[in-house]
Amino acid sequence: MTGEPVTLRVNGAERPVAAVAPWTTLLTVLRDEFGLTGAKRGCNQGVCGACTVTIDGEPVRSCLSLALNCADRDIVTVEGLVPAGAPAGALAPVQQALAEGNAVQCGFCTPGILISAHALLRRNAPLTVDEVRAGLSGNLCRCSGYKKIVEAVVSASEARP
Amino acid sequence: MEFVRPDSIEATVAALQADGAACLAGGATLVAMMNADLVAPHRLVSLRDVAALREAARQPDGTVVVGAMRRHRETAEETDLRDGQLVLSEAAAQIANPPVRNMGTIGGSCAFADPAADYPPALLAADARFSLIGAEGRRTVPAGDFFLDWYETALEPGELIESVVLPPAPARTVGSYTKLARVAGDFAIASVALVLGMDGRACIHLAVAVGACGPAPVRRRDVEADLIGGGLGDTEIRRLTDALAEAFDPVDDVRASADYRRRVAPRMVRQALVEAQQRISETP
Ligand SMILES: Cc1cc2nc3c(=O)[nH]c(=O)nc-3n(C[C@H](O)[C@H](O)[C@H](O)COP(=O)(O)OP(=O)(O)OC[C@H]3O[C@@H](n4cnc5c(N)ncnc54)[C@H](O)[C@@H]3O)c2cc1C
Ligand code: FES
Ligand code: FES
Repeated sequence: MTGEPVTLRVNGAERPVAAVAPWTTLLTVLRDEFGLTGAKRGCNQGVCGACTVTIDGEPVRSCLSLALNCADRDIVTVEGLVPAGAPAGALAPVQQALAEGNAVQCGFCTPGILISAHALLRRNAPLTVDEVRAGLSGNLCRCSGYKKIVEAVVSASEARP
Repeated sequence: MEFVRPDSIEATVAALQADGAACLAGGATLVAMMNADLVAPHRLVSLRDVAALREAARQPDGTVVVGAMRRHRETAEETDLRDGQLVLSEAAAQIANPPVRNMGTIGGSCAFADPAADYPPALLAADARFSLIGAEGRRTVPAGDFFLDWYETALEPGELIESVVLPPAPARTVGSYTKLARVAGDFAIASVALVLGMDGRACIHLAVAVGACGPAPVRRRDVEADLIGGGLGDTEIRRLTDALAEAFDPVDDVRASADYRRRVAPRMVRQALVEAQQRISETP
């Protein structure tokens, strides 16, 4: 790759890349340089939500974020939802809820859904169905499992202490 | 392609003077177009580190200055906007979906000037103006003179939108933004932005702008002016919707036919005006 060096803070770790071209997106660096393939490239146009990650705590499209513009930001991908050092196979509560609620079909949309849901769950109050639907409105599921996804996120919000 | 990240307005304007330079704001439109190989600026000038562009502030007289880098989510939640100015936050809340609202900015949306975008009609109805800065200095352009044609604005090459300025809305006016779309979060088939003030049965403030029905938002100030001071019943509303419809120049696209837009937009205006009057009469 031609370009300039950049260091990105991903899931709490500082990760240098030797050369990133100006047009390279965060999604490309996550997948091709760091091997973090949780975020998916569905449309590369900001529409589908499969590439959603959080930057400084807010869900955004990694396909529309240029890598060089993400220096000094806190980036969290689906791989970072489970705290570092947790036992192998451990799941975050929202992941557990989707798994138990059979809310995953092919799974392509799931990493983006988990990131959006995780951001929603940071609010304290239990979430209503309408709040969850609005919060996940930027994440498309081609298998159309929305009902179970929404139910699982509502139940995860009710289970919160 | 070159990438620069200046940290002041002066340095940004200087960086924009090169041929093929483009601002990078939220990237929600620009990066999508780069991904599709539709554009390839020679120099990307990132605005992320220019702190002054990220502020919004309310002045003592009620004027609100919204920095170009304010994101849609921030504008949707802006507590500095009052009365009729709320037309802007209502519009911001209906743009796209949460991740896109966390990225996209008011400056980027207005510079791109999609004819179906939500801010342009809202800014026309709010009588907003743009503060632009370029190599020759600052200038102010009213929203009505900013949106010129399909994806065309009054911005000159090398010029930056610094902020959008909303004048104080007359007290007790209401602002509303209604959007008709195929699904929540899609671009508008048609949209109606309005700011209305009533004193009893008399209309004392009226501004209606229609989006997605032509190259730029449509407003009929001539007819609005005629209606000030009188009632706002069926006959008066009809005068305004007829005049607006005359000025529509919609297209057929994937969202709706031009004919459908011509039929639906006047009905949306009527409904928005009736609802706004109701809201005013219910407010003590
Ligand atoms: C999936 C999706 C759905 C969307 N739905 C809607 C919708 O329903 N309604 C709606 O209104 N919009 C919608 N948008 C567009 C969205 O609002 C974009 O955020 C907006 O159009 C561009 O803003 P930006 O900050 O991302 O600008 P960028 O993409 O960074 O830039 C856009 C253009 O503006 C220029 N520019 C940016 N800032 C400035 C400045 N300060 N001065 C001068 N030029 C500047 C850039 O050089 C570029 O040419 C949608 C976008 C996506 C991806
Ligand atoms: S790949 Fe980013 S939104 Fe579809
Ligand atoms: S589970 Fe297949 S796209 Fe959502």
